[in-house]
Amino acid sequence: MRAITAFMNGVTRLNNAIGQWVSYLVFGMFIFILLEVFLRYAFNSPTVWTNELTQLLFGAYAVLSGGYLMAHRGHVNVDLIYSMFGTRVRAVIDIFTSILFFIFTLALLWFGYDMAQESIGNWETSYSAWNPPIWPVKACIPIATALLVLQGIVKLLEDIAIACNLSYYDPEKDKVVEEDPKGEQL
Amino acid sequence: MSIEALTLLFFGSLLFFVFLGLPLAFVLGGVSVVFLYFTWGFDSFYMVASQIWSTMGSFTLVAIPLFVFMAMILERTGVAKDLYRTMHLWFGGVRGGLAIGTLVICAIFAAMVGISGAAVVAMGTIALPAMLARGYDRSMCLGVINTGGGWGILIPPSIMMILYALISGVSVGKMFAAGVLPGILLMVLTAIYILIRSNLQPHLAPALPPEERGTMREKLVALRSIALPVLIVFMVLGSIMGGITTPTEAAAMGVLGSLIAAAVYRKLDLPLLKEASVRTFKLTGMIMWILFAAHAFSAAYQSMGAQALIEGFMTHIPGGPWGIIIAMMLITFILGMVLDPVGIMLITLPVFLPIVESLGFDPIWFGILFVINMEIGYMTPPFGFNLFYLKGIVPPGITMKDIYKSVIPFVIVEIIGLAILMIFPEIVTYLPDLLF
Amino acid sequence: QETITWKVQSHWPGASSSYKDSLGRLKDQIEERSDGRLKLQLFEAGSLFKAQETFNAVSRGILEMGTISPSYASDKMSLAGIASGLPFAFRNVWEAAYFHQVLGFEEMLREEAAQHGVYYSTDKVYPTEMVVKEPIESWEDFTSLKIRSSGALQKFLTEAGAAASYIPGGELYTALDSGIVDGAHWGAAQGAYSMALYEIAKYHVQPALNIAGTDAIIVSQKALDKLPADLQKLVKDVLQEQFWYRTNEYQYKERVTLAKAIEEEGVKINTLPDDVQDRLVQVAQEMWDEEGKRSDNAAEALQMLKDYLGKLGYL
Ligand code: NA
Ligand code: NA
Repeated sequence: MRAITAFMNGVTRLNNAIGQWVSYLVFGMFIFILLEVFLRYAFNSPTVWTNELTQLLFGAYAVLSGGYLMAHRGHVNVDLIYSMFGTRVRAVIDIFTSILFFIFTLALLWFGYDMAQESIGNWETSYSAWNPPIWPVKACIPIATALLVLQGIVKLLEDIAIACNLSYYDPEKDKVVEEDPKGEQL
Repeated sequence: MSIEALTLLFFGSLLFFVFLGLPLAFVLGGVSVVFLYFTWGFDSFYMVASQIWSTMGSFTLVAIPLFVFMAMILERTGVAKDLYRTMHLWFGGVRGGLAIGTLVICAIFAAMVGISGAAVVAMGTIALPAMLARGYDRSMCLGVINTGGGWGILIPPSIMMILYALISGVSVGKMFAAGVLPGILLMVLTAIYILIRSNLQPHLAPALPPEERGTMREKLVALRSIALPVLIVFMVLGSIMGGITTPTEAAAMGVLGSLIAAAVYRKLDLPLLKEASVRTFKLTGMIMWILFAAHAFSAAYQSMGAQALIEGFMTHIPGGPWGIIIAMMLITFILGMVLDPVGIMLITLPVFLPIVESLGFDPIWFGILFVINMEIGYMTPPFGFNLFYLKGIVPPGITMKDIYKSVIPFVIVEIIGLAILMIFPEIVTYLPDLLF
Repeated sequence: QETITWKVQSHWPGASSSYKDSLGRLKDQIEERSDGRLKLQLFEAGSLFKAQETFNAVSRGILEMGTISPSYASDKMSLAGIASGLPFAFRNVWEAAYFHQVLGFEEMLREEAAQHGVYYSTDKVYPTEMVVKEPIESWEDFTSLKIRSSGALQKFLTEAGAAASYIPGGELYTALDSGIVDGAHWGAAQGAYSMALYEIAKYHVQPALNIAGTDAIIVSQKALDKLPADLQKLVKDVLQEQFWYRTNEYQYKERVTLAKAIEEEGVKINTLPDDVQDRLVQVAQEMWDEEGKRSDNAAEALQMLKDYLGKLGYL
């Protein structure tokens, strides 16, 4: 049981840490676009690399958000019928619908891995004027999906604990950790 | 299995799982995978990964984190709060004044962005708490932001119009020009609705009590607080119109403006930037994972032969040319409830456009109707991107039910607008005829 | 009798003339000549796979057929760079056609693609030409230009001294209109016309930046092998005819479209001054050698090209 709790906390911490760091990429996108505008407008010398680098940063940024959002309940859902039930019924429903979650994410993991492996195999570059390596960003797809799957397993374990009243997960304790210091949902 | 039966199953299971509370992104992705398996086999899952890779590579989407980041900074520094305080001082005497002010800001925002998600999230962050704090009805606030935030694709620049132009072969410039008056019409209609509604039911959008409206002096002093927002709008719009940036790049100017504003407010510090970037990450991630899955979903639906279904439909429409146009609007509207706009365009336009032209209708006029319909699709339950984006930012007390309910009157207003444009096509064609 | 349906992903949007003229023709020809035994189900650009992903999808056999620009297969085919056009190499379309079909370049491409389970066939060869807002009358005019470009040509234009930047197709019109860029290339006359670029840029620049087999049709070898022998032959024959038919027809339509743009939009032809052309050719030739370094295949193709251009008296 203790191993399960450790696993759950470990995965959540991992996703939190990664999310924290990746969230700063927005500064990179901002600065590179601004630089491009500045160089093009003021010096009439646009670069071949700023927009493409921004694009690559954005790709990694967007896809890597998956696990972090999962840990923070940030993937938006419809709570219309859902909110009429109590915690335990919801947990049971979530266990049922997680089938679809795993079908999607495991398919994505499989083929994302396949895609990334091929890309890394020939150190794929973009063949643009700048021609940077793009395999690291492609590799982000399976990495991000793996993080999402792990967090999905954590969620499933939580739901099982709630549904079956198991002791390895305490939703009350978790709530305190989850809550934002400023008391907002984000 | 026939495409008709597949369609029912496909959308049926979509709704089933959405209402069971599974996050939208996973419903869309999961349902796509299951159906791809039964129609095309295991190897076709590659399409899902491939669609995600393609979406990661769409440069126009870079505007989303930037505009959201801008909004997060503006909200935290107090710029947004001061803006609303000023608006309240000036227009607070009018019932619904703040809501109309929000619509105007939405329209300005729409002129700055070519996509929809950024505006909804940004305006939701800025305007929703400000209006709620001043006693505005929840439904009123949500409806206004949902409608106004969606105008990004109707008021130029608009990615949707460019896409329409690419598929239909009409001029982009004419499409842009054609969108201006309808955009204003929708704004006026929505404002009229707010005025009528808030005068019939004052508690929905209360006026500021006379004793709190402030003296002229106070009002003038408060005007200072709009200087920074105006500066930001000027930086963004000015750089688009002045040929300095593309609309996507202009988002970075917006961030620059908001950072300047934060510095002026002496709030520019590391904790602020840190918090803004984390919030931006969450909201952008929410939007992007929905888009990832939505693109996979429409690709899956198209691979099953969606176009053939629409073609089949169109051969059985009674009622002459207008019957056909109205049927097309209905199909778009219904697809708009469940599919992403780009998918709808790719599925329907190749079928619709030859018919529209053979009936002698103006493809530009049809394009505007189509884009408005698409915009309505963004905000109609059960599935509309704006609804979900809004859900992602509202305070915990507000449920999806509140959001669903809030849009109904606003959708009706937009449909009235659509009907007006069908009856008076000149509203659409006047500007393009004048300018080109 | 058994009917086989192939899913075909295009890299052209529906409004692009090539969607009907190339893909539509291919569909009609194959369906008619096979008496409906082989059918093509067409998908517009981006419907199932993004253009850059189509080669992978066909290579994996998920799609039976697709259309691409060779540059989208750059990571798989070392000849892609030469196939999608070395700047200022050919001066006439027929020269490029002869290079492909008679001198054996097409065969080389086919061999490279075959290693990825893909049957490669060039749809047509045609020029890529720029439109600009102000005419280019001197080298200074050229180097002060801001041009929307992409891929190898972006590198070429940059190295030649112009300010070339990549702007996505969706924002091209707005960018050109507001003056973020002063010029752009999107195919040649038909491309510029379809993107409404002539509304805002009135000078059509000649000669072409390059002439090349910029559109190609790819078929999954797996799908091809599954066909009965007579249908396999039929598909290959139709593709072979397609090259000549479309190369010619495209030339014709280019001229018609340009004439229409001149008539309706007041477009003028801007022929680059000789000294500008000479300097561009110089820069271009340095770039060719870069392409030759990609592989033994590429080196061989480049040598073949140089010998050919020598015979034509251009080198
Ligand atoms: Na807009
Ligand atoms: Na909808």
